[in-house]
Amino acid sequence: MQSSQSSSSVSSGQPSPTPVKEKGADYVYFDRTTAGFSADAIPRAKAAQLKLEHYYKIAVDAAIERNTRRVELERKLAADTAMSDERKQRQLLQLGKKESAFLRLKRTKLGLDDFRTVKVIGKGAFGEVRVVQKTDTGKIYAMKTLKKEEMLKKDQLAHVRAERDVLAESNSPWVVQLFYSFQDPTYLYLIMEFLPGGDLMTMLIKYDTFSEDVSRFYIAECVLAIEAVHKLGFIHRDIKPDNILIDKEGHIKLSDFGLSTGFHKQHDSSYYTRLLESANGVQSPTTAARNSVAVNAIHLTMSNKDTIATWKANRRKLAYSTVGTPDYIAPEIFLQQGYGNECDWWSLGAIMFECLVGYPPFCSESTHDTYQKIINWSNYLMFPDDVHLSHEAEDLIRRLITSHDRRLGVDQIKHHPFFYGVNWNIIRNIEAPFVPRLRSITDTSYFPTDELEQVPEQPSDGDSTGNKDLAFLGYTFKRFTISSNGF
Amino acid sequence: MSFFNSIGPFVEAALVVGNFKTIVMQPKHVDVMEWVAFNMFDFYQNLNLFYGVLTECCTSQSCPAMAAGPQLNYTWINQDRKSVQLPAPTYIDYVMTWVQNLLDDENAFPTRSGRDFSPSFPSTIKHVYRQLLRVFAHLYYAHYPQILHLRSEPHFNSLFAHFLAFGKEYELLDVKDVKGAPNAPAGIGLLWERWKEMGILVS
Ligand SMILES: Nc1ncnc2c1ncn2[C@@H]1O[C@H](COP(=O)(O)OP(=O)(O)OP(=O)(O)O)[C@@H](O)[C@H]1O
Repeated sequence: MQSSQSSSSVSSGQPSPTPVKEKGADYVYFDRTTAGFSADAIPRAKAAQLKLEHYYKIAVDAAIERNTRRVELERKLAADTAMSDERKQRQLLQLGKKESAFLRLKRTKLGLDDFRTVKVIGKGAFGEVRVVQKTDTGKIYAMKTLKKEEMLKKDQLAHVRAERDVLAESNSPWVVQLFYSFQDPTYLYLIMEFLPGGDLMTMLIKYDTFSEDVSRFYIAECVLAIEAVHKLGFIHRDIKPDNILIDKEGHIKLSDFGLSTGFHKQHDSSYYTRLLESANGVQSPTTAARNSVAVNAIHLTMSNKDTIATWKANRRKLAYSTVGTPDYIAPEIFLQQGYGNECDWWSLGAIMFECLVGYPPFCSESTHDTYQKIINWSNYLMFPDDVHLSHEAEDLIRRLITSHDRRLGVDQIKHHPFFYGVNWNIIRNIEAPFVPRLRSITDTSYFPTDELEQVPEQPSDGDSTGNKDLAFLGYTFKRFTISSNGF
Repeated sequence: MSFFNSIGPFVEAALVVGNFKTIVMQPKHVDVMEWVAFNMFDFYQNLNLFYGVLTECCTSQSCPAMAAGPQLNYTWINQDRKSVQLPAPTYIDYVMTWVQNLLDDENAFPTRSGRDFSPSFPSTIKHVYRQLLRVFAHLYYAHYPQILHLRSEPHFNSLFAHFLAFGKEYELLDVKDVKGAPNAPAGIGLLWERWKEMGILVS
């Protein structure tokens, strides 16, 4: 095939290629030109080409995966001499049904009216979380709504979505599964698996502190969860008790992230810079004073109990606010000097402190003060006298809440004496310290639902309910669960 | 240059190499209706994608008839069951709108769990297939140079070859439709022959 960039004669707005030059029986000379096309025809053609390439890649992969699932099942059935042929046949039929349901799902447009709200269970920075039931299948999910308007930049959306898709597709037992997402003009909707056990923040509000044994369990599971996220090539950046969810067996999973993290004002580094500048500057006498040594002393003698009480009273409100709580964020994130995945281990240190002591290490009456304390962590990390901590626990916390170059890495953490006796390979299979006692699949007793009464049952979608989105089009996201019987 | 003398090397350009069997074959144990519905849905989306790029070249001036060969014009059957000549863009718009509405129609293409395909589904699919084939045929016959200018021929060829292979496998395709009548041959008839020779399509 020949092509030439030389301009050819163009008549009446239509490209007219140079006539054929004979050069062998099949030889055609064709001048390619984009002259007669509108300005956006070229990028659109390119986009169509890329989409089709993607389409065929996925189609081939899907054929291979489908085949693998079938062959695996057939092999398993062939090896099973105890099972009757009839039951084997039924199992193959079942697989076919699931595969068919999966194909159907890809044609399915989902909208808000495909789900019925059972209960509002949570509130996040950009919207709420509800337990919902898919009306046609009766299956239960958690639906998170995100108000588009309140998310910062639109072009972040695509980037963030791609990240999230990888995570959601990871199939990791440590990450909450995402099944669908769709949107209407006002909101983005995420349909995830429902974890009925609530979150660690709610548990901490309820129990105040955990024993070292109980803390060891949750912190050890968090170590594995964070490790899993890092292995996938991600940094969570926002690990906090509100994002640590409890499944029906009492084990933890990290909540869907990547999506909101990218949008949070608090993660916008220029936001920090401004905050810090205003805090360091002399604009406000109080903030300036707090930064000086003299007032630090006052701060230290002031009744810590009051601070903690205020902090506790505001804990949930803080979780609902767009600014969020900075309590668990590593100092290097504020300082804009770049950071690696070590920042997640700092957060874990802060959570471990809270589990054992009852409040996070730098909690203050205002987020300003918290920033200041985190940046000057070495002056503010204090273990209260009235709480007894084992030497190992305190040591581990001190090796996590430290400068990033001295912080322990995952292998060192796993070998730390605090975790002596932990069998890292089976921890997810042992019995959890608190196993939620659930009366039904929609039991929401582990959520602070009474505090959420002002939240409407249904998200008020600004526009029509007829506005449906292809659940999968434009997303590489697909979810095949062998355990669930279609959707 | 028309499609007939550019049939040369450009029709051999392909995005997908080899035979389409792997992605056309009905997966074992999977419901055939579901499989066909799923694929037709994608063919429609993908064809629409490329037609969207070519619409600016397909006007009632450039294409006063829905042509797919020198003597071959397709006619549209209107509500009064009368067959009418339409400019190609109008014809294609009718086809695409009609198919989109069918795809959105829960009775024709069920998506709800537990909802079955109606007994008339195979005949609906045949109709859809035939109309989409006509859109392909017109684009090849009337807009092939533009496809080349946009360097889209490997993609468009593969999409169409896949479409043909699929139609063949599920008996949606009438070879008459591909070749046209002896006195009114369809441009795509040449592709059909060529791709069979090349082994892209298995006869
Ligand atoms: N899949 C789920 N199953 C059960 N409860 C959930 C689920 N996802 C979220 N929740 C509840 O809703 C609360 C708020 O959710 P989440 O933390 O994801 O929102 P958010 O604060 O906007 O998130 P972030 O700020 O971390 O992006 C959680 O603390 C938890 O109690």
